[in-house]
Amino acid sequence: MTREWTGEELAAAAERLVPGSVERVTPNACYLKPETLVQTFTALRDDPETDFKYLANLCGVDYWDRFEVVYHVHSFEKNHIGLYKAETRDRENPVLPSVVPVWYGAWIQENETYDMFGIRFEGHPNLKRMLLWDGFPGWPLRKDWLSMPGGLQPGLNEFSGVARRQEPPVRRYEQ
Amino acid sequence: MTTSFLATDNWWDLRDLSNLSGAILDALDKIAPQGVVYVAAPIIGFIGAFALFTLLSQLFIGVLGERKIIGRIQSRYGPNRVGPYGVLQPIADVLKLLTKEALTPSTADRLIMYSAPVVFVMPAILVWAVIPFGPNMIIADIPISLVYYLAVTSIPVLVTFMAGWSQDNKYSLFGSMRVVAMAISYEVPLVVSLLAIVVLTETLSLKEMVLWQDTYNIWLLLVQPLVLIIFFICASAELNRTPTDIAEAESEIVAGYLTEYSGMKWGLFYGMDIGYALAASAFAATVFFGGWTLFGLEEWVPPWIIFILKVWAFYFLFIWTRGTLPRLRIDQLMAFSWKYMLPIALVNLLVVCTERILWTDAFDGDKPFVYLFAIVNIALAIALVVGWARFVGYRPERTPSRPRLVREAGGYIPVSSVSGEGR
Amino acid sequence: MSSPIKSEPFVINVGPQHPSTHGVFRLKVTVDGEKVVDAEMIIGYLHRSMEKLAEERTYTQNIPFTDRTDYLSSMSNNLGYCLAVEKLAGIEVPERGQAIRVIMAELQRLASHCMAVGAFVNDTGAWQTPIMWLLRERERILDLFEMTCGARLTCNYMRIGGVAFDLPKDFVPQARKLIRDMPGFIDEVEGLLSENEIFVARSRDIAVIPPELAINASLTGPMLRGSGIAWDIRKADPYCGYEKYDFAIPIGYRGDAYDRFIVRLEEMRQSVRILEQALDGLPGGPHSTQVPLALRPPAGEAYARVEGPRGELGYYVVSDEGPSPFRFHIRPPSLINLSVLKEMTVGGTVADAIVALGSVDIVVGEIDR
Repeated sequence: MTREWTGEELAAAAERLVPGSVERVTPNACYLKPETLVQTFTALRDDPETDFKYLANLCGVDYWDRFEVVYHVHSFEKNHIGLYKAETRDRENPVLPSVVPVWYGAWIQENETYDMFGIRFEGHPNLKRMLLWDGFPGWPLRKDWLSMPGGLQPGLNEFSGVARRQEPPVRRYEQ
Repeated sequence: MTTSFLATDNWWDLRDLSNLSGAILDALDKIAPQGVVYVAAPIIGFIGAFALFTLLSQLFIGVLGERKIIGRIQSRYGPNRVGPYGVLQPIADVLKLLTKEALTPSTADRLIMYSAPVVFVMPAILVWAVIPFGPNMIIADIPISLVYYLAVTSIPVLVTFMAGWSQDNKYSLFGSMRVVAMAISYEVPLVVSLLAIVVLTETLSLKEMVLWQDTYNIWLLLVQPLVLIIFFICASAELNRTPTDIAEAESEIVAGYLTEYSGMKWGLFYGMDIGYALAASAFAATVFFGGWTLFGLEEWVPPWIIFILKVWAFYFLFIWTRGTLPRLRIDQLMAFSWKYMLPIALVNLLVVCTERILWTDAFDGDKPFVYLFAIVNIALAIALVVGWARFVGYRPERTPSRPRLVREAGGYIPVSSVSGEGR
Repeated sequence: MSSPIKSEPFVINVGPQHPSTHGVFRLKVTVDGEKVVDAEMIIGYLHRSMEKLAEERTYTQNIPFTDRTDYLSSMSNNLGYCLAVEKLAGIEVPERGQAIRVIMAELQRLASHCMAVGAFVNDTGAWQTPIMWLLRERERILDLFEMTCGARLTCNYMRIGGVAFDLPKDFVPQARKLIRDMPGFIDEVEGLLSENEIFVARSRDIAVIPPELAINASLTGPMLRGSGIAWDIRKADPYCGYEKYDFAIPIGYRGDAYDRFIVRLEEMRQSVRILEQALDGLPGGPHSTQVPLALRPPAGEAYARVEGPRGELGYYVVSDEGPSPFRFHIRPPSLINLSVLKEMTVGGTVADAIVALGSVDIVVGEIDR
């Protein structure tokens, strides 16, 4: 069975390798400081005890006041998994360092996170919108996307905080 | 000439179709002005050989039969909706192609693009002029019919290049470049291997080769098996059939040089592809399988029926390989031609020349020595093919076909550390 | 006296509509002669914003979404999502439900590998003969699915807490007949292809991925195992009772396309073994636990993963005690397996690029979600 590391263990490992890299600890995750993120992850990857060589999942979450990027990291030989997070409170222009130098497989997932949330990753070799096109208005998976300037009108359901839309003008084809 | 050929000279004796055509020409000679018979003769030949045999074979054996046979290889029925057992499928196809909208890209070179299908059809018709359907049933009995055949079947290469270039489409250009490269490299072993046949039978005429096989009562495929193998592979390559159909490799470049053709232009390419395959089958049936002779049976069964059945049987081989084998890459194809087939063809030529000299000088042309040479050549063919494959081809110890099995998950397991597994 | 021949690279679009791109997937290949210089993929043609839509629907209503991500292996998708939500909510699945889940997942693996192997061989040009044979067998598996849940492709069969319906009476005999015939059939396909010189020449040493790159690029599934790394979530992190079954995981030698092909064929055989054991040891009892209709798991997050046919399919679900998930993220194996597309295709020819893409075994529904 894969052992899931608790938050304290993850924080202890990160502190041991790169002191001052842990921001805060929750029961099953450890928040890392963005400034030392790449350094911490490199150390965690190369350290024989933690051996987090494999990045299983990288995605973004939008809690209303902050953005988080979660990193599920994993070791094959030791068969354990840990959950690290990095957060940023900047809603207008969120920036986080990119972990592509550490794990090459992160580049697609970071592209997707950028596409959906607007989080810029510094140091990413080719940051571009992957699933949506370049001129797409807004960042869809943000919680406040529908009321953003340029955001689209809701389709099926009513969303709280947004007035019910007018019927769109019907387009008649020229005879 | 066969010793006893029971066909009479009556025009209704269909065992020798030249009676029928001869009677028509005689009648024309009487009623028409001087010289019209020279125009009428090839037209009658065209109707007989091409229109009646080739066109119908293309439609029913080529379009329908091929699809049904490939369907059966793939464990499904072929076309069986149009008509009982799908026999009207080719007619439905032709009707569909005739009524399709023919789109042409606006930047394509119209002259070449429209003329390419037409030029493609012409050699397909011309090649039937020298194929012997029976002892007197050849439209043009020229003494160099082998050279004529090889020359005429090299024209389609040029046409595919014309077609690919004129369409102003990257996929088509790709396809036509590949076709030209491949066709050039497969012509050489083809011709070199056919030289061996020429050396053995001392003639360039297809009819004489059939008569040679009749005289010595042995088929050339038994005397020269390597030539048949090389001919089969090279003919597949010239005809752009799988496993060498990179010109129109559907999974890579959509349709190669046929991408922008639609409607009947595509239909002409497709139909004449089958026509060329039938021509190659007819050539093989003539040279390797004994033409219209079947060890004496041709006195009872009309020889052209025997010949047609042999053509269809050889065409079945083409269909069979198409349904079974994957496709080779272009550089692998070229390597195969220049590194494997050409040396084998040259070795074969050397052996045949030696045998020929021995036969004429040492054994004075005695008939039983042909059988000896046949046995020697078959042994040589098996040895060469198996040996080449064994030393140069796929070897199980280098490419194991079963993976390693482990029970526990862990990290990377390097290859040599699991005991008992090969590399 | 001759000037060097100038050649300039030009861009070929192996475009969204192509007979062999496994879906709407666009690959811009820059070619110099026949050699590929650069390859770039453009995806998003099938983006249906499932992750956003899932935030508006309850947990149970999201199960049909998961069907449609990887539409060729919908049972595995359902299973992953249900595992994630069960982990969040702390729900236990009864034994019969777990056994049925294993049976369905392995049948789905067989069906998906039939399609994957067939499509791969189709890419090498084998004119649809192997794919027709494989699809014939896949039809039998889809008949079993239709018997159980009514749908062949998008099954929507797993529920949070178990499975939707119990197995019908005819299921076990028909499944036994299928797994009796399957090994012979896999041998047939293997006999046609595995030692076929042309096929080996087309797929050996194509798209080689060394093991360090495989681990670093987060590859999963047959791509990882083809490179020699023994990792299978069914062995390492067993779910649904996989630790009870005895099976092996195949790993390759060199990490090329041929290795992935033989790994997939062998996985089919191992699936048949698991199915035999699961059908023999099918326990009685209820097939699912009752969960409330509007499930409200406690606040928290969970990441659960299953070994789908294409690799590690992960679901990351965050709950805020509402009826619908706060964040629903699918970790698609096909998308992340494509991280190494450039390394696989650059340096070979266009034909090799197509074969490499076929050996990755992508499903665009999963890539774009």
